[in-house]
Amino acid sequence: MAAADSRATRIYRALLRLLPFDFRSEYGREMESVFQEQHREAGRRNGTTGVLRLWWETIVGIFRTAPGEHLAMFGQDAGFALRMMRKSPGFTLAAILTLGLGIGANSAIFSVVNAVLLKPLPYEHGDRLVVLDQRMGMMNQSFSVAEINDYRAQSRSLGGLVEYHNMNFILLGRSEPERVETGVVSWNYFEVFGVKPLFGRAFRPEDERPGAPAVLLLSHEYWIKSFGGDPTVVNKTFTMNDKIHTVIGVLPPVPQYPDENDVYMPTTACPFRSRPAAIANRQARMMQVFGRMKPGMSVPQAQADLSGVAANLQKAYPKDYPEANHYSVQTVSLEEQLTHNARPTMLVLLAAAGFVLLIACANVANLNLSRLLRRERELAVRAALGAGRARMFRQLLTESFLLAVIGGGLGLLFSWGALSLLVNFAARFTPRAREIHMDAVVLGFTFLVAVLTSLLSGTAPALAARETVVGTLKEGGTQSTIGRGKHRMSSLLIVAQVAASFLLLIGAGLMLRSFLRLQRVDPGFQPENVLTMQIGLDFVKYNTGDKQRAFFETLLEKIQMQSGVKSAAASMMIPFTNDMKMTGDFQIQGQATTPGQALPTADFRIVSPCYFEALHIPIFKGRGFLQSDRPGNPDVAIVNRSAASHLWGSQDPVGTRFSTDRGKNWTQVVGVVGDIKQYGLDKNAADEIYVAMAQNPMMESSLVIKTSVEPMSIARGVIELLHAIDANQPAARMRSLEQVRAESVAAPRLTSNLLGLFALQALAIAATGIGGVMALVVGQRRHEIGVRMAIGARPGEILRMILGQGMSLTLVGVALGLLGALWLTHLFEQLLFEVAASDPPTYVGVAAVLGMAALMACYVPARRAARLDPLIVLRLE
Amino acid sequence: MSAVPSNAGLFAPLTPSMFHVLLALAGNDLHGYAILKEVELRTGGKVRLSTGTLYGIIKRLLNDGLIVELRSRPAESEDDERRRYYRLTPQGRQVAIAEAERMDEILSIARSRNLLKKPRTA
Repeated sequence: MAAADSRATRIYRALLRLLPFDFRSEYGREMESVFQEQHREAGRRNGTTGVLRLWWETIVGIFRTAPGEHLAMFGQDAGFALRMMRKSPGFTLAAILTLGLGIGANSAIFSVVNAVLLKPLPYEHGDRLVVLDQRMGMMNQSFSVAEINDYRAQSRSLGGLVEYHNMNFILLGRSEPERVETGVVSWNYFEVFGVKPLFGRAFRPEDERPGAPAVLLLSHEYWIKSFGGDPTVVNKTFTMNDKIHTVIGVLPPVPQYPDENDVYMPTTACPFRSRPAAIANRQARMMQVFGRMKPGMSVPQAQADLSGVAANLQKAYPKDYPEANHYSVQTVSLEEQLTHNARPTMLVLLAAAGFVLLIACANVANLNLSRLLRRERELAVRAALGAGRARMFRQLLTESFLLAVIGGGLGLLFSWGALSLLVNFAARFTPRAREIHMDAVVLGFTFLVAVLTSLLSGTAPALAARETVVGTLKEGGTQSTIGRGKHRMSSLLIVAQVAASFLLLIGAGLMLRSFLRLQRVDPGFQPENVLTMQIGLDFVKYNTGDKQRAFFETLLEKIQMQSGVKSAAASMMIPFTNDMKMTGDFQIQGQATTPGQALPTADFRIVSPCYFEALHIPIFKGRGFLQSDRPGNPDVAIVNRSAASHLWGSQDPVGTRFSTDRGKNWTQVVGVVGDIKQYGLDKNAADEIYVAMAQNPMMESSLVIKTSVEPMSIARGVIELLHAIDANQPAARMRSLEQVRAESVAAPRLTSNLLGLFALQALAIAATGIGGVMALVVGQRRHEIGVRMAIGARPGEILRMILGQGMSLTLVGVALGLLGALWLTHLFEQLLFEVAASDPPTYVGVAAVLGMAALMACYVPARRAARLDPLIVLRLE
Repeated sequence: MSAVPSNAGLFAPLTPSMFHVLLALAGNDLHGYAILKEVELRTGGKVRLSTGTLYGIIKRLLNDGLIVELRSRPAESEDDERRRYYRLTPQGRQVAIAEAERMDEILSIARSRNLLKKPRTA
């Protein structure tokens, strides 16, 4: 019986632990004795039933009482904490600001990470969507109609397979002709993505039948931008490609992938995709392909299935898929495809924000510690009055909790303010940027971070306070020994702050150096003073090569005569872009080819005669294009240096001929020009072959106009010339080439800016932290300094002593940071351009900057120490 | 009604359990276990307070000044040192009276609506 009693008491005691410490220490023993009596009596009177009933009532009672008691306790602590915070507004403000910046940085970056990397795709069963890629060796290839039909018919793993390509068409029927980005898609494209129109209807199978009435779906953005969100747009008609198109619906605001389009049309409505020649030619590859896996299928299973189809195609059409081309098909989940560009940058930024927060925590912990020194007497008195240690621990934690929560609120305001900037930033990496919002998950994360922050910044001082209480009482109120323990902790915190700041500065420094390297890359041409714009001709009106050629030649001639224009050219695409990339294989006359062996490939560009002149691309050998390079004269081409050395080898390309149609027609190489960074400053020059525009007329072209004045200033004049030739002809994407270049490096620029911002924040927090702690040290060593000076120490020596103490902490921090950086930065390497993660100049520079900042921070208190008057100090003591 | 000071109304309405504790202490100074027993006895076993509930109430009543802990203790032979004795303060008594009168008023309304029999006079 006694054993049962003691077991019940033990269980009861455990149960009591649910109640707050103070409550327990006040009433616990009494409650225990009451329970023991209850327990004995229940057993005596009603046996096991009575005991069980007692247990039930007791458990329910404690569970009901505990939350209220905890809340009441917290209310009391919080009230006291708020009074304390009001008492030292300087400390409170500094702590809230520091934590606000730290927490704000985290919630801001987390809002991006959450939307881009954590949330499921906003498409129904988005995890089952895959992207298909055809590869010839290392080269990605689009799909032809014939291939799409084969994959659709033969795949067993996909429940739906849809195609997509993007076109620029001119939409007539509004006040001005408008160039619209058009997504040309299978009828079930949106069904496969699980996207239902906001209103109106989706495409139906009959919309995709040849000869069906042309229909359009509007994207949400275009609908808002161009129609002001007017719902009556459904059933309105517009003219496109010489055909009446009826708007049948508006899409919801979902991220558009692969491109942001204005309108969508079924494949049969696209005049290029529906040409019989395009349908018949297995090599006419212009479409992208997406699939939805059947339920239960995984990406590797789908990959195996589709590889089987690829093998079938190779067997059935050996001429189209020669073995030497290493034909294959790749299946990638859409989620991976949408986010893989963003992942490394976002994770690095999240880690950086985490470091900023850690530094902020260490700083607030230090502020707390130094405040504790001032509050020592108060705490000792409270301890003497009977406040339990746990109670004081709790009180201090409540204070830091309140600071962190208020700081968190401030942080949320910061990140709220930065949201649109962040969306713009993330849009450089992923189409999912528009999903970034301050939602419940971000709020929850912020609160969690605030709680964690309060634990981190409050525990050290709270622990120190426990020692203080004991120490102060033992020492009868003197501070000498107490200070020492706390200084050790405070020094540790400083070292940690310096180490983390060093890491962040290294990250930012590496990014900055990499960005500067990128900026300094010679693009191979002069982007200064060049105006560019895109012109896509109405294919109905300009339906022959002659008309297209005549249009561009007339336009360029007129622009050339405009004042302020040095030279005007047209090209199928401008540098730093790859939207019209055209890769093809060819055979060089005289070079032996064996059947089954891969032919040389190069990127083909169609340009007008003044292109090289307008961009200052040097001609190394032979000549540029001439006005006489027209139909009727031999076809000519110019190759770049890379193509010359890779594909012609030791042979001089000038004078040789090549054929892209297996020897039916031959083109003569007439010159060799310099390489340019067509696809971006960080990409290697491709093997390029330029062909003459007059011999290869184009529907769509970009103008490249070298000016002697600010390029955008002549844009209006150029548009007037364009409209003088054809009033219905719009131009798009009017930008200077320097703008294009700036945009091409926007992602690394913004990343290095953000990292730089974090690093500066860290540097400022750490420097003020060091300064604050050194000021405290000086305050506490006044007596000692006074004595030293009285026995002959000179101010210079005192200055050096204090500086030495501060700088030795800094040095330890830098050394630890250095080890951390060497260990961590290799994770970072893929974001860097031609800069090693262990780049010595960056490390030296960062150490110097951090050292200088620490020196400056220590100098103020050190000078104050050096200026102390020993007489006054000693008299005061 | 006039015997009750105006601030006694600030505590009303008490929870039924708090009222029971006040009623138990209205007779005698009691320790915790005795309060539980008294409440159980007076209510014929209908109200059984658990230790958690009881000490939550005791803490509130002490804070509000409605009860006090006694400094004097019974003779050592019949005492358990873990026990503490509580006494109703004059303010606690007034609050209990105010609560009883409030309930009485409600009961008379119930009687006037014939929801309850008239009390038998002795």
